[in-house]
This record gives sequence, C-alpha cells and structure tokens, in this order.
Amino acid sequence: MGSAALILLIIVGIAFAGGGILVSKAIAKTSKNKAKGEPYECGVPTTGTSWIQFNVGYYLFALIFLIFDVELVFMYPWAVVVKSIGVVALVEIIIFMFILFMGLLYAWKKGALKWM
Amino acid sequence: MDARTIIFYLLAATVIGGGLMAVTSRKIFRSAVFLLFSLIGIAGFYFFLDQEFIAAVQVVVYVGGIVVLILFSIFLTHGSGEDMKKPALGRAVFSALAAAIGCVLTMYLISEHTFQGSGKPALEPSAGNIGAQMLSVTEYGFILPFEVVSMLLLAAMIGCIVIAIKVKVPEQKVMPKIKEETEPVELEVVEELKTEEV
Repeated sequence: MGSAALILLIIVGIAFAGGGILVSKAIAKTSKNKAKGEPYECGVPTTGTSWIQFNVGYYLFALIFLIFDVELVFMYPWAVVVKSIGVVALVEIIIFMFILFMGLLYAWKKGALKWM
Repeated sequence: MDARTIIFYLLAATVIGGGLMAVTSRKIFRSAVFLLFSLIGIAGFYFFLDQEFIAAVQVVVYVGGIVVLILFSIFLTHGSGEDMKKPALGRAVFSALAAAIGCVLTMYLISEHTFQGSGKPALEPSAGNIGAQMLSVTEYGFILPFEVVSMLLLAAMIGCIVIAIKVKVPEQKVMPKIKEETEPVELEVVEELKTEEV
C-alpha cells in the first residue's frame, strides 16, 4: 500500500507539474525574443559572466554552518530522551554545548562572524 | 514486480544516474549539483529501509551541508565556469576499468563473506533509542564518544577560522609572492577537515 501510494504520488506530481506547463504552452500567446532569455538584474543589462570567484569568507560561513548542523544532529536524539534520563542527560549536553560554545566565542573574537 | 521493487529501481536509477552525470559533466559546478541528486537518492534508500533518523541526517548533513561546502569551495577556485578538458581516451578507459574492478571486487567480497546474525531481536532504530544509547553511562554506552565529538567539531571550527582568517590578514604584512604559494596548500587542508569531521 505504502509503495503503491508513493508511485501514485510520483506520477501525479509529474503530471501536475508537467501538465500545467504543457497546457500553458498549448493555449497561451507567446513571443520569443533575445531579451527574455537574459538573467533578471533589476532591468539593467548584465555585464560579464556570472561564474565569478567568491570571497573566502563565504566558505568560512558554510563551514561554521556545517559544524552547528552536525551539533544539531546530536541534539535531536538528546531532546527525545532528556525527560526520561533526567539530570545526567542535562549535565552531558551542557558539557557538549560548552565545548562548542568556546568555538563560537573564538570565532566571535577573531571577527569571523562579521560580514565582510 | 510489486510496487516496492519499482520504488527500489527508481531510487537506484537516481543514485547511479546522478553519480554518472556528476562524473561525466564538463562543468564542475554541474557535477556538484548532480552529486546532490545522488545523495538525495541515498537518503531515499534510508527511508526505504525504515531508518528515518539516518535518512534525516543524510539530508541535513550531506545534502544541506557538505554539498553547500563543495559549491563554495568550487566558487573559490579560478575558472569554475569553464568547461573542463575532455580526458584522453586512454585515461578514460583506464578510469572505467579501475572503477569496474573496484565494483567487482567489492561485490565478490560481499558475496563471499558469511554474515552471521546475532540471534537477538533487532533494536528499533528510533531517535529515542539512539539518544538513550548515546547518553548512556553504562558499559556499552556512547557518552565518551559523544563528548569527544564536540572536541572534534571545536577543532574543525578553529581550524577553518585559522585558515580563512590567514588569507585575509596578511595583505599588508606578507609579500605577494609568499601569498601565492600558500593559497593552494590551504585549500588542501580545508578539504581534509571536510572529510574528517563527518
């Protein structure tokens, strides 16, 4: 039952998305010109390529995000059982978060959280 | 062929198709996006096996984190928008051969290995059971690894800050020649971090 419903969902999803596009292609009035294919940039003609080199700061943000992402993965099962385990679990997560909080303080102190 | 089999083949096609497109795409950015499809397919497999927690972790960490990291590291490099050169025929054949041999070897080892069941009933892989085991302070509990993980994450965070800040600061101190030499080395270090922490 579950798998059959999933397959039905996939088929209906494709038909719903694709059907809308097909119907609008079939009955809507369209015109083709070069300007329509350009990326939207507030009406100003775009200059240069969009394949540019990013600042290393973005990478830093992505890495810090990933680290807190992984922290969250560990906190979720903790949150499920904290009530049944009690004080021990609370102490454990406080140690866990204290160590990571040191990292956040370090990032703050070094100015890594400032947007360039 | 029942519905479950069809779902399995759909997922397998997503994973393998995404992987193949990632390998054969000539633009490195597109390779990363195809990798995304492959990883989502693997998350689908975890759902297929009723491992909801692992599936959620797969989506949150790999799809949401690692691929974003890979995309940013691609944008850090020069010429990320250029088409890569077509590999020489010999090299392509050799790579395909190496991948095929690796695949055959792995499948052979799995088929030869005699898996022995423990006989005990399987634990339900719910988030509650995982959490209880993770925070347990008894003999087979995982409390020490759990706390050590936070040290690992701290090390990764400090490492990436040290690396990234070092690029920004030396502009007035270090001569440009030295800066040029250090840059590729730093990127390698970051990549090591990325694989280790997960």
